[in-house]
Amino acid sequence: MKSPALIFLGAFLVNNIVLMRFLGLCPFFGVSSTVETATGMGMAVIFVMTLAAWITWIVFNAVLLPLNLVFLRTAVFILTIASLVQLVEMFLKKAYRALYNALGIYLPLITTNCAILGVTFLNVDKKFSLLDGTVFAIGTGFGFTLVIIVFAAIRERLDQAPVNPSLKGYPISFIAAGLMALAFLGFTGLFGLT
Amino acid sequence: MTRLGIFTRGLVKENVVFVLMIGLCPALATSSTVRDGFGMGLAATFVLVFSNLIISMLRKNIPNEVRIPIFILIISTFVTLIDYMMQAFQPDLYRALGVFVPLIVVNCMILGRAEAFASKSSVMESILDGLGTGLGFTLALTVMGTIREVFGNGTFLGMSVLGESFKSAPVIFLVMSPGAFLVIGILKALINKYVKKELK
Amino acid sequence: MTSTRQMIVTLVIVAVICAVILSFVYAFTEPRIAETQAKLTLSGLEEVMSAYKYIEVVPGTLWRAVDSLDQEIGIVFRVFPQGYGGPIPITVGLNEERKITGIRIAGAAEGLAETPGLGVKITEPGFTSQFKDKSGDEVALEQDGGTIHAITAATISSRAVSEGIRKGLKTYADYLEATYDLGSVFPGADNFIEILPDTLWYALNKTDTMGIVFIGIIQGYLDKIKFMVGCNTKGDITGAAILYSQETEGIGEVIRSEAFLERFKQGEPEAISGATISTQALINGVAEGMQKYKEYIR
Repeated sequence: MKSPALIFLGAFLVNNIVLMRFLGLCPFFGVSSTVETATGMGMAVIFVMTLAAWITWIVFNAVLLPLNLVFLRTAVFILTIASLVQLVEMFLKKAYRALYNALGIYLPLITTNCAILGVTFLNVDKKFSLLDGTVFAIGTGFGFTLVIIVFAAIRERLDQAPVNPSLKGYPISFIAAGLMALAFLGFTGLFGLT
Repeated sequence: MTRLGIFTRGLVKENVVFVLMIGLCPALATSSTVRDGFGMGLAATFVLVFSNLIISMLRKNIPNEVRIPIFILIISTFVTLIDYMMQAFQPDLYRALGVFVPLIVVNCMILGRAEAFASKSSVMESILDGLGTGLGFTLALTVMGTIREVFGNGTFLGMSVLGESFKSAPVIFLVMSPGAFLVIGILKALINKYVKKELK
Repeated sequence: MTSTRQMIVTLVIVAVICAVILSFVYAFTEPRIAETQAKLTLSGLEEVMSAYKYIEVVPGTLWRAVDSLDQEIGIVFRVFPQGYGGPIPITVGLNEERKITGIRIAGAAEGLAETPGLGVKITEPGFTSQFKDKSGDEVALEQDGGTIHAITAATISSRAVSEGIRKGLKTYADYLEATYDLGSVFPGADNFIEILPDTLWYALNKTDTMGIVFIGIIQGYLDKIKFMVGCNTKGDITGAAILYSQETEGIGEVIRSEAFLERFKQGEPEAISGATISTQALINGVAEGMQKYKEYIR
């Protein structure tokens, strides 16, 4: 079994959730127009992702598995995440109003962020222990945040650059993301990680 | 809007991948070969059509406040259904698509159509909408899959199409992650340039 | 505005219906899935070593390959060495001479994560056929002192495969020897050296040869009888055991009894009336074996 540090690095860089696993693309493109919003989204994602990984791991290993209800996994996980996001939203609204306002509509959007559900599935498929799974989720969250912030920075500059009209907007963003992915490919094999 | 109009809208004018830009995760991740892209498209279409159908049938009985959780329950039932059916009858495809099969449940296009259309429209219209949108998605994935497999692997559905010498040295990075971004970026640029005018 | 109670009731009803539908789906597909899995595994085993039957020893990892006489003809094992992009599933067939009969590397459809177009070439016959008939330390890349030619620009994947197989050979090849409890028919010997695969061994105490152990097969009354006999250098039988028999329960199966087998130590026993065919068959078989391997009994 890999050490937690390696699991973190693997999730953070080598198998980056957005650029290598293709999860979390909708918010990646949708919430990266400014670095500010990107940072906000990234923070929210790290928080929700870790909590979701935690709770779904417990539900899976303590309830679904022993009761032979594994086939209910998809439904149970997504409902758990949806409820979790609702609860977080309500909590922030009451306790940390400023943060709630800052995140705005991004918070409910996290429910459909395939990265969150994806991480919960990967956690279970890879048969991680609770600790390893938590580290995996945190690493993935940071990986998401890293690339979304970098991407937002690139987009802020791209918006001011003279770009051919057909390429403007999504196309040039995709190509930029492609170049980032190319760069991240270089991390393969780091510390013997795949 | 005519019945046919509903169908073609999802297929072309509001094509999920190329116009609305949602459902991108599976579009990029599963389009490295034609078989994978097409298979994923069909699986998602199946879920979309049936959940649209059920949600439309039940639309008068679903309390508004809890509609989202109920939509999610219905959608995830069909997703789990296709998950296990694929495991049993198409294990190769299942292994290739991996975690993206259960992830169909968060494909924004499905929840999106349920919320925006199926919960407010007749059964027939909902089915057509589901078919149009789903097939539009499938079309987009298949097109990308074709480009990436033919030029990135020299094959189409596993059969060599550009000759053996190309096959031994194709544009490999097209089947890897940066290639997906590049292909969709260029396709979108081309669509922006040549197609936008007609749609206006 | 619907009451809270109505909302909860609807929610619960929908949830229950969904759960019920899914449990049907699960019940329907589960056997099919298991069947597909089993077929897949079997075809994978047959590809590397054809045999009559495969007996799973370690689930998913080690099988004994036997022929129609329940005679072991080799083993098949699986290793999962870490390659460039992930674990590489390799199935290896090994015969009694400790030579590889064939290998099979799972393709991309089954989870192989090597570089497309380069690393995945390890699955092609051009690479995998090199491993046939090789054994021990031959299984290493040329640049590592072995005889395997790596795939150009895919050294990491190639090396992962050859190292994985080489280590697998070390781990599992011993299993080829451990099948028979030779000591049970030759008490006093602490070491056995195989002379004829699965058939004849020298029995030693430290470095002194004390005798031999041999295995023979003879036709009994209902089915074949596979037996194991130890014989010392004086020509006395030290022990006899039945490895396989399907004689008549309560009658022919007497050949398995301690009492009957003990008699072999005092010289050739008499057949037991009522079970003449079975017992005589065994007696003949033992005698034949003693004759056949006479020269080894020094």
